[in-house]
Amino acid sequence: MTSFARFAAVTRRELSSALRRPSYWFLFGVLALAAWGFSEGAVTISSGDATAGGERSHITSVFAQTMFQSILITGMGAWFLAIAAGLVLIRDSEFQIGEILHSTRLTPREYAWGSFAGAALAFLVIWGLFLAMSAGFNHVLATGEDVRHIGPFVPGNYLYPALLLGLPQIMFFAGVPFLLGAWTRRPIVVFAFPVTVVLVILGFLVSWSPSWLDPAVNRALMLVDPSGFRWLNETFLKLDQGMDFYNTAPLPADAGFLLSRIAVAGVGLLAVEAAARNTARRLLRGDTDAVVIGFRRSGRKRAPEDAEAIQPPAAGTLGELGMRTEPPGFLAAATAIGRTEVLELLVRPGMYLFVPLILWQSVSQSLFALGPFDAPLLLTSGAMAARQFNTLSLLVCVLLLFYTVESLMKERAQRFAEIYRTTPAGTGAMLFGKTAGTVVVAGVVLAAALIASWAIIVVRQLLGDPVGFDLWPFLAAWGGVMAPTFIFWTAFVTAAFALFRNRYTVYGLGLAVLIYTVYGMNVGDPLPWVTNWIAWNSVSLWSDMGAFSLHGDALLLNRLFYLSLVPLLLVLAMRWLGRQEFDAVRILHRLQPRALSRSGLRLVPFLLPPVFLGSLLFFWGRAGDQGPDAEEAAKNYWRRNVATWTDFRMPSVSRVDLDVDLEPRERSASVSGAYTFVNHRDRAYPQLPITAGPWAPIEWTLDGEPAEPEDRSGLFVITPEAPLAPGDSLTVGFRYELEYPRGLGTRAGPRNQFILDSGVVLTAFGPTFAPVPGYLPGIGVDKDNRYDAREYSDDFYEGETEPALGWGGKPLTTRIRITVPEEYTANSVGRLTSDEVRDGRRTVVWESDQPVRLFNIVAGRYAVEEGRGTAIYYHPEHDYNVEEMSAALDAAREHYSDWFYPFPWELLKLSEFPAYASYAQGFPTNITFSEGIGFLTKSDPRAHAAFAIVAHEAAHQWWGNILTPGRGPGGNMLSEGMSHYATILLHQEVHGDRHRIEFAKRIEDLYGDGRFVDSERPLVRIDGSRPGDGPAIYNKGGWVMWMLQQEMGREHLLAGLRAFIDAYQSGSDFPVIQDMLAVLRDFAPDAEAFDAFTAQWFHEVVVPEYRLAEVKKERTGSGWLVRGTLENAGSGRMTVEVAATANERWSDEGDDATRTVVHRDYRDARAVGTLDAGGSAGFEITAGFDPERVVVDPDALVLQLRRQAAVFDFPE
Amino acid sequence: MLEISNLVKVYPGPVAALQGVSLEASRGMLGLLGPNGAGKTTLMRIVAGLLEPTSGAVFLNGEDVSVDPRRIRRQLGYLPQHFGFYPHLTGAAMLHFLLVLKGVKAPRGVKRLAAELLERVNLREAAKRKVGTWSGGMRQRLGIAQALAGNPRIVVVDEPTAGLDPEERMRFYRLLAELAEDRLVLLSTHIVEDISVLCPRVAVLTGGRIVADTTPGEARARLEGAIFEGAVEKDRMADLTDRFEITQAVLIEGRNRVRVHVPNGLPPDGFEPVAPSLEDAYLLLTRNRRSGNGATPEAAEHTGS
Repeated sequence: MTSFARFAAVTRRELSSALRRPSYWFLFGVLALAAWGFSEGAVTISSGDATAGGERSHITSVFAQTMFQSILITGMGAWFLAIAAGLVLIRDSEFQIGEILHSTRLTPREYAWGSFAGAALAFLVIWGLFLAMSAGFNHVLATGEDVRHIGPFVPGNYLYPALLLGLPQIMFFAGVPFLLGAWTRRPIVVFAFPVTVVLVILGFLVSWSPSWLDPAVNRALMLVDPSGFRWLNETFLKLDQGMDFYNTAPLPADAGFLLSRIAVAGVGLLAVEAAARNTARRLLRGDTDAVVIGFRRSGRKRAPEDAEAIQPPAAGTLGELGMRTEPPGFLAAATAIGRTEVLELLVRPGMYLFVPLILWQSVSQSLFALGPFDAPLLLTSGAMAARQFNTLSLLVCVLLLFYTVESLMKERAQRFAEIYRTTPAGTGAMLFGKTAGTVVVAGVVLAAALIASWAIIVVRQLLGDPVGFDLWPFLAAWGGVMAPTFIFWTAFVTAAFALFRNRYTVYGLGLAVLIYTVYGMNVGDPLPWVTNWIAWNSVSLWSDMGAFSLHGDALLLNRLFYLSLVPLLLVLAMRWLGRQEFDAVRILHRLQPRALSRSGLRLVPFLLPPVFLGSLLFFWGRAGDQGPDAEEAAKNYWRRNVATWTDFRMPSVSRVDLDVDLEPRERSASVSGAYTFVNHRDRAYPQLPITAGPWAPIEWTLDGEPAEPEDRSGLFVITPEAPLAPGDSLTVGFRYELEYPRGLGTRAGPRNQFILDSGVVLTAFGPTFAPVPGYLPGIGVDKDNRYDAREYSDDFYEGETEPALGWGGKPLTTRIRITVPEEYTANSVGRLTSDEVRDGRRTVVWESDQPVRLFNIVAGRYAVEEGRGTAIYYHPEHDYNVEEMSAALDAAREHYSDWFYPFPWELLKLSEFPAYASYAQGFPTNITFSEGIGFLTKSDPRAHAAFAIVAHEAAHQWWGNILTPGRGPGGNMLSEGMSHYATILLHQEVHGDRHRIEFAKRIEDLYGDGRFVDSERPLVRIDGSRPGDGPAIYNKGGWVMWMLQQEMGREHLLAGLRAFIDAYQSGSDFPVIQDMLAVLRDFAPDAEAFDAFTAQWFHEVVVPEYRLAEVKKERTGSGWLVRGTLENAGSGRMTVEVAATANERWSDEGDDATRTVVHRDYRDARAVGTLDAGGSAGFEITAGFDPERVVVDPDALVLQLRRQAAVFDFPE
Repeated sequence: MLEISNLVKVYPGPVAALQGVSLEASRGMLGLLGPNGAGKTTLMRIVAGLLEPTSGAVFLNGEDVSVDPRRIRRQLGYLPQHFGFYPHLTGAAMLHFLLVLKGVKAPRGVKRLAAELLERVNLREAAKRKVGTWSGGMRQRLGIAQALAGNPRIVVVDEPTAGLDPEERMRFYRLLAELAEDRLVLLSTHIVEDISVLCPRVAVLTGGRIVADTTPGEARARLEGAIFEGAVEKDRMADLTDRFEITQAVLIEGRNRVRVHVPNGLPPDGFEPVAPSLEDAYLLLTRNRRSGNGATPEAAEHTGS
């Protein structure tokens, strides 16, 4: 028999053994589901025209297949490969076949390589089946109405990714665990590998990519990422290249990346060779016996048996020992078993691998945490505990899966089972002891993560961070919420092991559950409370203002439900685990109906609590405003009213009187009030529709008399005795009680508005606390009845245009009376005219000092920072950025008043609300601001989020409120884009060039990353209905105005904007971009240049993308000459600067809240050129210094793609 | 009182490991003798409560322990044929752990008891070392120590002397003999010498059936005058095998030293009558069974104990 024949024989043996293993078929099942899911179009590359009927990127393209395969092999395959390959040698050791095998002519190298090849081939077989299934689902079975995501069948699209990214990953994820198994003979070490690597890949290498990252570091991370996904994403996917590109272009791999893939595969293969050598060394040392019993030989020499044998026989009889036996107590036995488990854990290396891994997770998630505009986050203890919650839960569950199974397998693997099982210790005590010992692992991991979190906070404090450490959020989130997960999961794994009694089956099942859970939580709909066993995302919405106040009840029930399943699972485990091996014939007898029902009856006491709690969770959750009844009510609202009322134009509401009595602890409010309608139009209104929430019963009045409007499923249609004639008015009154949110909710997730103990935030956008005049077209619309976005004509804005925000018609006055518990502060629009406390209740009255178009309410237990005509209401523990935010608010009020329009109201307030939603909204005089954004970000010159968000939201006082944009394409840009432009200006004004440039770069990246090339429309046509509209409206909008400022000159533009606001701020025609440009044109010094600029930036979609080529420098007498070629690989015609620079531009001095300083050693020299789309031109720069770098657009004056690539560094 | 009643065990396959085994025993040492695959270990594991029988029952003092094995665990000392221990624990810690699980008490405490038991099996010097560093023989002795611990009313030992040197084997015999004075010891082995030294009573199991339940003396007595021994050239062996029932044949210096069973008193030429051994009886019993001859007349006799 040749060497190859022996190798092939071992390979065949391992292949056949692996393919019979249930874990592989679990993997096959999961992959089959994934293939089917992909073919349904659930996951695609974010490109294409997402409108109904529009083209979509193909899931069958080489890019999509590469993305799927890369993520699937890392996310799923790595675990199964580690188990399959890593346990081969360990299993052979346990079966004691090593000596027999090696007494043949089989060499250790043939054995090792053959075993590895068998395990890897088995995975390749499954992978091949997956690819075949994918092709079948995609090209044969996909026959729905919508198969736009399926392209032509190109076999290479499936095979190329498998070769380019799949094969190296398979070698890596199989080879390294194979070596670890050979080396240590410990399953835990094998399992630690995928846990570590996958978390580093998915938690860092793939996802961590702040826009300010150095391109060289980014490239290095691409090359070291074993999955290859970072390379794919950063090179091709992150910046949308358009559907045609993804559907038809090949996927070229550069030489560096190819080499890195060879290296990734090489690491795996080298590991196999090392394992072969290790096996050979073991045989030479005669280690086989040590291998068999699953431990490594210690450094001490084994005592020769003869030395023991020659001891003289001990004297005495057994009787002299006086032994007697009593049944061991539950606690004594469980303690002994638990203690033994812990002792074993201490000598296993797994703990010492996992603890650093968890530390890494804690450190990376906290140190690299980024907030809005990629700003570093100031993590409080609560935010830190919450941020780590999902990963820690998942990670420890993976760990518990392995430890529990290995713990239950241990007696069998170590051949101790027969002695162990014949002891009189109770099975319950055995399970409890083992479970307790295993749960200690979770405790150790959590303790390590806690210490790491504490250390991070302490170190950050030493470095100047203001946030201190607080233990209780960790105890509450990790101890109260996470610990029950571990108890349940351990019981579940134990029961599964008892049922299947097979290590591989339980691993397969456990991993399938974990993968399904994570997939469900991150890709599909979040799991409902009743199936959310891991409490995923339940704590991530953490609020320091009141933890658990949104999901507390649901979470408590959820935890009790899963804890109530534990006794049932343990009883089943005790029954199935059976210390006695069951007889097959007797099992059949037990499966007879009568025997089964007898067994079932005995389980009833254990079934009742989970059935009760689960039902409660299910039905109570569905009874609320996320349940089917609420959905049906919303659908009915849509069905009954869409045809009649969609284009109905309401008369103005001239006055709002509201009395809102809030009970935050009860989540409830009593509301009464009245709206005064004035018919400002030229036609009479026989009926007035008003949308109300689910507040039955509602008492309505009409001009003070009781009224009974027609209830059209939530749209109340009021019919006055006489139609409301032009110029006439009438008052509609109402009174009701409400609860918001209602019920438990079906699943964890954010809420945009709420009445909670931790805080209250309510807006008049929709009927959450106050009726809304007219029909609201968004209610009851979901994927089943969503219609195509409206197509607007080119002149849609001619004549009167309805407002994009607010209730329409003329501005209104408000008087809002709010009653809250004494310790709360309640804010609304306008100025405070009354603040009284009586019987523990505070009543405040807010009245609009100048008309507004919308109103809101925000309340909480606040401290206040007062500025110059401004005030910031904040959670007393969140004072870290308050000074800076107050300064920003003051500056905004002052400068925006100068630049745009005098601020008409008395006070500009900003109030914090709990992070159950992460937004800020600029209601007139009353900005609401989630704690999750600016209050807890760290000021950094690269991203000044607190300042930026305050500046943006404050700008909405002008761009949104004083000037309300019109409804239709280009309207939103006047609100959001203009606010971003104002933010750029305020950065420049307050902090100088560096902060302005960095902010401009951040929003440039947000535009580049978020745009959809195929569906992007010119700014004048964007209406927010398509994916990618948001990034364009905000970021491109802000940038284009900034570039227009370069074109027109700052003062000309600002004068034009002032004139624009003057023209539109009080009328009933609400403007869009075309209206603004018409006004601005009159202020442009060069109308022709203005037209050329606005034509390409407002009426077309262009973005330059600059490239430097052939850059060289040469010494010329006393100076240097830099030559090169600048190319515009993108679109648009712009004039752009190129600078040769030396030394760092910005000095660290003067960062944070002060203006930036240019470093005294910084030098630059510049050239200017104008490039058309696709054009290129040479440039020459004469510098009086030795240039180190050439930078395109050093001052961030031209919006462009891939700015990081438009830099050239001269070699040292 | 242990009563094994009509025990049947069929493994999937199907393989009938036990085909209606019945035995009774109350005190003393009962040897269970049989060739490999006879069903000894299956029977032992059923008695120890580790394996559920397909049918039949095992009664201990009138209670069916095959249905509720908990009843026997409190009174059982068990040493399986193959076993291991937690390698990371020291010998003392391992035994202490087992004593706690067995609920064993002693006047001077469990820890001291563990040390004394280790001394009884000559492991005192190794007590502080991890079991993982021990030799096979030492682990065997630790197994013996745990089986003897706690004054069990019934001791089940399956091939206990495998891996023991002669001295340790004798030491173990002594311990077993002491135990068997006032309790039942069930000793399974295929080493006839162990049985002949230790067991006043022996049951021979082959093909899943009890083919003899007797005493070693009685087994030998039944062959009295029927065993002959002589030397035979190699080329005569085939002829001899055809004509006589050979119990043993050993090749010494080119010639076979052969023992034959000749019940009718006409031995081969040159053969002399010799005293029958238990091994002769065992081999005749098991060979007849395996060759399909059915139970020998001796099998039908049940001497009890």
